Amino acid sequence: MSNPIIEKIDKAVIDVEQRLAAPITEADIEQVRIDIFGRKGMFPALSKEMKDVPPEQRRETGQAFNVAKQKFQDLLDDAHKHLSGGSGEKSSDIDLTLPGRKWKAGRKHPVSIMIDDCVAVFRRMGFIVASGPDMETVYHNFDALNTPAEHPSRDPADTFYFADGRLLRSQTSPVQIRVMESQEPPVRIVAPGRCYRRDTPDATHSMNFHQIEGLYIDKDVSMADLKSILLAFAHEMFGPEVGIRLRPHFFPFTEPSVEYDFSCIICGGKGCSVCKDSGWIEIAGAGMVDPNVLKTVGYDPEIWSGFAFGMGIERLTMLRHRIADIRWLYENDTRFLEQF
Amino acid sequence: MKVSYNWLLQYVDISCSVAELADKMTMAGIEVEAIETAQNVPSGVIVGEILERNPHPNADKLSVCKVFDGKETLQVVCGAPNCDAGKKVPLATIGTVFVDPEKGSEFKIKKGKLRGEESMGMLCSAVEIGLGDDHSGLLELDNEFKPGTPLSEVYPGDTVFDVEITPNRPDWLSHWGIARDVSCLLNAASKMPEAKLPSPVTLEDSDSLVTVKDKELCPRYTARIIRNVKIAESPDWLKERLLSIGLRPINNVVDITNFVLHELGHPLHTFDLDLLAGNRIVVRRAKNGEKMLLLDESEIELKDHHLVIADAEKPVALAGIMGGEHSGINEKTTNILLESAAFHAANIRATSRELGISSDSSYRFERGCDWGMVEHAGARAAQLILELAGGELVTGLVDVQGTVPEMDAINCRFERLRKLIGVDICNEKIIDIFEKLGLNVSNIDSEKCIVVPPLYRLDLTREADLAEEAARIYGLDKIPVIPVRSQTVAPISNDAYLAQETLRNRIIGLGLYECLHYSMVSAKSALCDSRFTSNDLVKITNPLSLELACMRPSLLGEMLETVERNVSRKNLNLRLFELGTVFCANPEIFEEERVELCMVLSGRKTPELYSDALKEQYDFYDMKGLVEGLLETCGIINYSFKKVDDKRFAPGQCAALLLNGRTAGHFGLLASVFTEGLRTDYPVFAAQIESSEIFKAQAADNSPFFTPVPQYPATTRDVAFLADKSLEHQRVIEFIKNAKVKNFESVKLFDIFTDEKAVGANRKSMAYTLTFRNPERTLTDKEVNNAFEKLRQRMESELHVELR
Repeated sequence: MSNPIIEKIDKAVIDVEQRLAAPITEADIEQVRIDIFGRKGMFPALSKEMKDVPPEQRRETGQAFNVAKQKFQDLLDDAHKHLSGGSGEKSSDIDLTLPGRKWKAGRKHPVSIMIDDCVAVFRRMGFIVASGPDMETVYHNFDALNTPAEHPSRDPADTFYFADGRLLRSQTSPVQIRVMESQEPPVRIVAPGRCYRRDTPDATHSMNFHQIEGLYIDKDVSMADLKSILLAFAHEMFGPEVGIRLRPHFFPFTEPSVEYDFSCIICGGKGCSVCKDSGWIEIAGAGMVDPNVLKTVGYDPEIWSGFAFGMGIERLTMLRHRIADIRWLYENDTRFLEQF
Repeated sequence: MKVSYNWLLQYVDISCSVAELADKMTMAGIEVEAIETAQNVPSGVIVGEILERNPHPNADKLSVCKVFDGKETLQVVCGAPNCDAGKKVPLATIGTVFVDPEKGSEFKIKKGKLRGEESMGMLCSAVEIGLGDDHSGLLELDNEFKPGTPLSEVYPGDTVFDVEITPNRPDWLSHWGIARDVSCLLNAASKMPEAKLPSPVTLEDSDSLVTVKDKELCPRYTARIIRNVKIAESPDWLKERLLSIGLRPINNVVDITNFVLHELGHPLHTFDLDLLAGNRIVVRRAKNGEKMLLLDESEIELKDHHLVIADAEKPVALAGIMGGEHSGINEKTTNILLESAAFHAANIRATSRELGISSDSSYRFERGCDWGMVEHAGARAAQLILELAGGELVTGLVDVQGTVPEMDAINCRFERLRKLIGVDICNEKIIDIFEKLGLNVSNIDSEKCIVVPPLYRLDLTREADLAEEAARIYGLDKIPVIPVRSQTVAPISNDAYLAQETLRNRIIGLGLYECLHYSMVSAKSALCDSRFTSNDLVKITNPLSLELACMRPSLLGEMLETVERNVSRKNLNLRLFELGTVFCANPEIFEEERVELCMVLSGRKTPELYSDALKEQYDFYDMKGLVEGLLETCGIINYSFKKVDDKRFAPGQCAALLLNGRTAGHFGLLASVFTEGLRTDYPVFAAQIESSEIFKAQAADNSPFFTPVPQYPATTRDVAFLADKSLEHQRVIEFIKNAKVKNFESVKLFDIFTDEKAVGANRKSMAYTLTFRNPERTLTDKEVNNAFEKLRQRMESELHVELR
């Protein structure tokens, strides 16, 4: 049996819910309150109708009446809370401008950042990292790399030696030899590491520095592969607008040999003091692995060919962060370290 | 090496701009590192003729000159001693602007009066107009020049390239050598400098003139004799050439040999024939202990592996490197012997290196000289001497030859070249490039050809060398960009860097700043790590300095220096680490090279905190916690610590880290000997850990299996007691863990204090929370209480603690 009062209440609930769900103001809420609880509102009107309710329905209607009152009150309260944008709790008066207690991660040294970034780029291209000792044999550092016996770089004026005849590697290239000695082709490695040359320290020279070496040996590898991989590296490292050029050069362990330049990352190739107005920045040396080197490690140069490249990590780091003096990198002032 | 543009123009027609030429040279391997434009004569400076010279009425040192500028006669006041009537000199007319090349400042010639006499310009010395460094008087111009001619027409200026020549290309060490390649690059005509000699006037007996005793070290020696030369200043064109590349003119004969060296690349030497004992040349090895005085007045003592040019009695030149002091050309020389020879490259290099003497001559000989140029360069110099110094050629060529070097024929497969370079370059183009470069190409078929390089291309011996030539001239810029072949050829587990990279990232995640130090240290710095003695150090035989003479056996020494440097700069809050290679000569300590980790903590944990109560400084337990935190982020749970004595650390505040039973490192409060002088009040804590031990322990715990998270609630009980101060926390923990308490899960310290008034002397209060749990059900209070009570009693009796 239908109960007209309960029906009215149910309808009113739906109506109020809809009215309060729409974008509203305090005035809208007040209007709802007046429409429901006001002197001429729904409840006073319903109270008057109560006397017409049959006795058997009175109990039920009275309960519904009270539940509805509470329901409408809750709806109005929620609407108020919602409008005041939150819990409606009293606002706290803390000084938000006081310093936060910083959660501090550490900082990677910029040289490590550069090594890791280079490694990440080359790993994407299928390379993995190989390593070799800092204390190297003359064989690995020079002889096997096709360096003539009288080459100036062997001179104790340029390279550090130990009493047992070994030396501090002057380049990461001996890792090429160690890798090729220990495995069959194909090879795809990069080798970041420390190198040492007897340079008197100044703004751009350090007797202790880092290089990253690359070696890629496979069938039918050409200078086009070399150029393309170096270009991909340039793009990943310094952005897609960076160009690359190869210039003929000479290294004992590659033939043909090239030096490669990136278009100046400072001025975009327009010419500036860093690129000496040339628009290009010399990055490093590379070339096709010399057949003598391949023969030395037992690779048949008629079947296998490949390229090698080497880059100075400090130079890349200094370019990237615009650091003018290499000695900053080894001073470890925390005010320097925390900038990276 | 400096290359003059004007000079190059003598041998090759250059149709492009200077900048284009420089670019083409660079892209062909002749790297132009800088382009300098030689100071051009300022416009406004003209040829002036001094018509009259009169003394200045008011100044003793000045003269008043009448100077003809081609149109009219001007009065100019001049202070130079040589402003004599009849001379032609540079005249800077009114309005000429001089720029000081160093300061960049400008100076303008104005109409004016000097001590009362009107002056309508300035007469100039060489230095004032950038034509040399002579400032002793006015630059005296050739009398042929017409007054009024702009001086910039007489001295057009020059552009000088600073080029880097790689050691494999000695054939580029001259203007002709560069011109030869430039002609190929520009497809332009070139002409080699001529050497036209008259036939010798009077033939002298020359059979015994030259004796070569060592034909291995001197495979070819040629000589010419020219009599009755007149030593004098060189003409302007010759001086200009030498000045343009930074050489100082000396006299005509010496300048000619220098000129020919830079023109043709072949070093020459001239002797004063009358100063040669016996008037003859003997090319021989020096006698051990033989001495000679060189041109630069240094005395050297020779050994029998040094090659000398001697006369009948004594060495007169260090072969191919430098002439002797008493046999060279001087103002009185009238008869000369002109040497053009070939020397053994490695021997010249070794001698030059050993004696520490190098010259333009040795620089070329040690890189390998062109056998074919020996005769031509000699003839060219003889021709110039006859032209510029007069005299007669009295002997023809005296030529003592060893074996003529043979150039190997190289088999060149066209397809092989294309595959190596990665460009589609046709056979004809390859052959064309070779021929333009002067290589002899023969036996050409569709697949290959035979190439014989000229005598000056000592660098070409193999197919790969030919590939370089083809690529270089064809243009490396034409090599296409192709898709990167990115397949892997080895598993990432072979990667030698991954473990170290990950470890570094984890340490950084814990909040430490990475440092980088040199691998070389002083012995003192190395030995501050007391694990090592001097014999354990790897020493460099040729260090840059004693401060950098040892390979670091430990990261500690330099880390201490970094702490000190930072502290002295008021960077007091330090959390630093280095992950780096260390070196050892004693295999009992470690073998050669390994990677170590060094960490340092000092100062305040959270420097930005403003409330005093929170200004905590790092203490021992922070360092311990750092080590624990690092191990746990590495997935290592099986570690332990042991209290040890170690000289690096303060007594009682050093722990050894044990991984799988092996000592992997130490940490603690640094010994006061290291920190005494530091300008910080904060204690300094350090840790040294061998990273390979971490990697090993990590491998053992790699990829742990999942343990189910407990489904039933835990129950806790607290136990507090007073104990003797010597009772270690570890002992309590182990006692509880080993007590086999039913449903025991874990124990945790929650309070400790040592207040003498509250707990008595040599006593401390400790309080622990024990957690009980059963994985299959919820525990009842009763069973927990029973187990807990038993444990309390055992602690009281066995640990001798006073329960509270």
